[in-house]
Amino acid sequence: MLKSLLNGALALTLLGTAASAETFRWASKTDPQTMDPHAVNSAPVLGFLNNVYEGLVRRGKTMAIEGALAERWEAIGGDGWRFFLRKGVTFQDGAAFTAEDVLFSYQRASSEAADTASWFAPVSEVKIVDEFTIDFLTKAPNPIFPDSIANFMIMDKGWAEANSAVLPSKDEGNYATLNANGTGAFKLVERQPGLKTVLEPFENWWGKPEHNITRAEFTPIQNPATAVAALISGDVDMINPVPIQDAERLQQRGGVTVIQGIEARVIMLGMPHKAEMLKYTADAGKPNPFLDVRVRQAVAHAVNVEAILAKTMRGAAAPASQLVSPAMRGYSPSLEARPAYDLAKAKSLLADAGYADGFTFGLKCPNDRYLNDEAVCQAVVSMLAQIGLKAELDAMPVRNYWTELRADNYDMYLLGWSPGTFDAEHPIRFLAATPNKEKKLGSWNFGDFSNGRIDELLPMIQSEIDDGKRQEMLNESAKILQDEVAYVPLYVQPLVWGTGKNIALTQRPDNFLILRWVTVN
Amino acid sequence: MLAFTIRRTFQSVVVLLVVGLVAFSMFRFVGDPVDNMLGQERTGADIERLRTQLGLDQPFPVQYFKFLRGAVQGNFGVSYRQGRAVSGIIAERLPATLELAAVSAILAVVFGFGLGVFTAIRRDGWAANTIMTLSLVGVSLPTFLIGILLIYLFSVELNWLPSFGRGDVVDLGWWRTGLLTESGLKALILPAITLGLYQMTLIMRLVRSEMLEVLRQDYIRFARARGLKERVVHFRHALKNTLIPVITVTGLQLGSIIAFAIITETVFQWPGVGLLFINSIQFVDIPIMAAYLMLISVMFVGINLVVDLLYFAIDPRLHVGSSGVKG
Repeated sequence: MLKSLLNGALALTLLGTAASAETFRWASKTDPQTMDPHAVNSAPVLGFLNNVYEGLVRRGKTMAIEGALAERWEAIGGDGWRFFLRKGVTFQDGAAFTAEDVLFSYQRASSEAADTASWFAPVSEVKIVDEFTIDFLTKAPNPIFPDSIANFMIMDKGWAEANSAVLPSKDEGNYATLNANGTGAFKLVERQPGLKTVLEPFENWWGKPEHNITRAEFTPIQNPATAVAALISGDVDMINPVPIQDAERLQQRGGVTVIQGIEARVIMLGMPHKAEMLKYTADAGKPNPFLDVRVRQAVAHAVNVEAILAKTMRGAAAPASQLVSPAMRGYSPSLEARPAYDLAKAKSLLADAGYADGFTFGLKCPNDRYLNDEAVCQAVVSMLAQIGLKAELDAMPVRNYWTELRADNYDMYLLGWSPGTFDAEHPIRFLAATPNKEKKLGSWNFGDFSNGRIDELLPMIQSEIDDGKRQEMLNESAKILQDEVAYVPLYVQPLVWGTGKNIALTQRPDNFLILRWVTVN
Repeated sequence: MLAFTIRRTFQSVVVLLVVGLVAFSMFRFVGDPVDNMLGQERTGADIERLRTQLGLDQPFPVQYFKFLRGAVQGNFGVSYRQGRAVSGIIAERLPATLELAAVSAILAVVFGFGLGVFTAIRRDGWAANTIMTLSLVGVSLPTFLIGILLIYLFSVELNWLPSFGRGDVVDLGWWRTGLLTESGLKALILPAITLGLYQMTLIMRLVRSEMLEVLRQDYIRFARARGLKERVVHFRHALKNTLIPVITVTGLQLGSIIAFAIITETVFQWPGVGLLFINSIQFVDIPIMAAYLMLISVMFVGINLVVDLLYFAIDPRLHVGSSGVKG
């Protein structure tokens, strides 16, 4: 007992000295569920591990691709990409970084056990050319391949083998679930899942540090009110997200800065394109009106996005016209106009379609997935009521939501999409292509939207090297999706972070906090 | 006594089995864990494969049987979210909850009894009336609101106490305690008050009304008539006889302190099992939810058992016809 007391006292003194250095403490809603960069493909995990592990390439402050573990890369004609690796890089355990580690990480990240395998679907083979050169060969020319692997993180082969973590394990976990050994600017020093995760700068990092942190502590705080209180009282230096309704009040308060930006996520309404009948309310069993493009157009004209942005999102979000935000590669600037808010037009479209008296239907909505999602759905319900479309709202937690959508239990639904590749091809592949299990296409296209030209354009877009031609095809796709009203895009979700006044950092649209850009003053 | 204990234990096992069954059958409505475990670029095949790996494709009775078989051996499976053994995770989190609950319970009992007796004896004093009025606040305000008010006052405005977390902990090998560090003790104050306030006011009001009841009885009058000191009358004769109902309620309240710690833990981001449970619901982490519910029911059942046994110790009447009186 005495000994443990002494230990405690010693630990206290140590903590006391550590606190005097530049400790950065931040909190977010979700704890990264694993420290394994290949086990879960989700923003909390990848965002956190971007500080510890590094990829061949990485994204800069404006999301542009820049070299990380690869110094440069070039296309091998249309056959793939050659990466020239950085020399003299070491992992945090001291092992040297070579092409062997890249090959190993590719095999690990593209295995069936990994959640990141879809990034490597276009890859046919990976070949080591020499110790610091490696080729990623693709089945067809693939212009955006380097962009698509910005979150593909490199793990040390020797370390993984020594700790029997050669493959990621989603259901049982292994050494790499709780430990990390990357080449990044920060190393993992303490990991208590769900409680606290501590990083410290990696002294032998190859890059030049831009930060002045000596220790970074992450705590998940699920309750938004607690997080806000922790920020104001100075118990944490940064929180993400700040509840939108608190942003203004926080901004006015001394000692706290609110940083607002636009995320990559577009929020949209989806409708059934194939179902024969409505499934909810009194009109259940009647023919599905959304099969008629005029009805879908009427919906688009009836939703007053500006009002939603002003009232529900408190001016923090931006209207969306396409399935990607303007910050993404391949956005079509010529198609930036949303269908105008025009009730008369919406009503006449409905009348033309034979629904002058409107109809009733069921709207499914998550209530804990997107910012203010349920409130947005309620706003949509009241707006659609103005043209006689009476929606019955059914809001539920996201853990039940996808199951319902997969079972086609909706007449209309709310969906948010953030393209993992930051490219306009991504939502076409997942949301607009005709669902096809074999080809792994349209896996989130719940409404079964299907358009022959889109299906034709997609593989061409995927393999077009020439940027101009590729953009033309993306424009054509975007035009078709707008004309057909495959979805009704509403707005781009905002990012709202809060920091102490003494903190300087960079907010990236992918909602990743990059610690090497954080300064504590 | 022995027969009573055995009968009670047997009943407890039945209760636990039923709780397990009800809890387990409800998990199907909590949601689908697979969606949370896979990223947005998953395919239908990935979903099916993981579902098979987790055994979710098996029929309900098989899943329940497997769970029971593991649970009997102390094996609650592997957490979906953390990929670690559930028993280890719970053991890691339990000290935080137990320390919080113990401190709250001590606060509740000490202040509850003290103030209860005080307000009963000084029935008409202004101090007693003020305490009674304030106690309404404790009974009527919901826990999370009290927590947020305390955070706002003591952390945000006054900046005296930390707004969340448990502070620094000392690892004793088998128990991580926050009671040995300054920051740990500071972090404990607000959550302990939040959690214990309701119980404290409840105990206080109960002690007061029972005490008033007893003080009206004839034997107290006799005791006074015999010229016994007020102190002896109050504490030796009156208080002792108010204890039976108070102990029942207090005992049950101790169970709910641990169970209701969920709300306090969420408000203060207190790293105990309650917070773990809330997070596991959001993530549909079935093994954790199942283990937590079993743990809580074991606790409730255990506390009930102890309370029943305490009756024996306190109330001599129960000894007289011990086999038939109490069932």
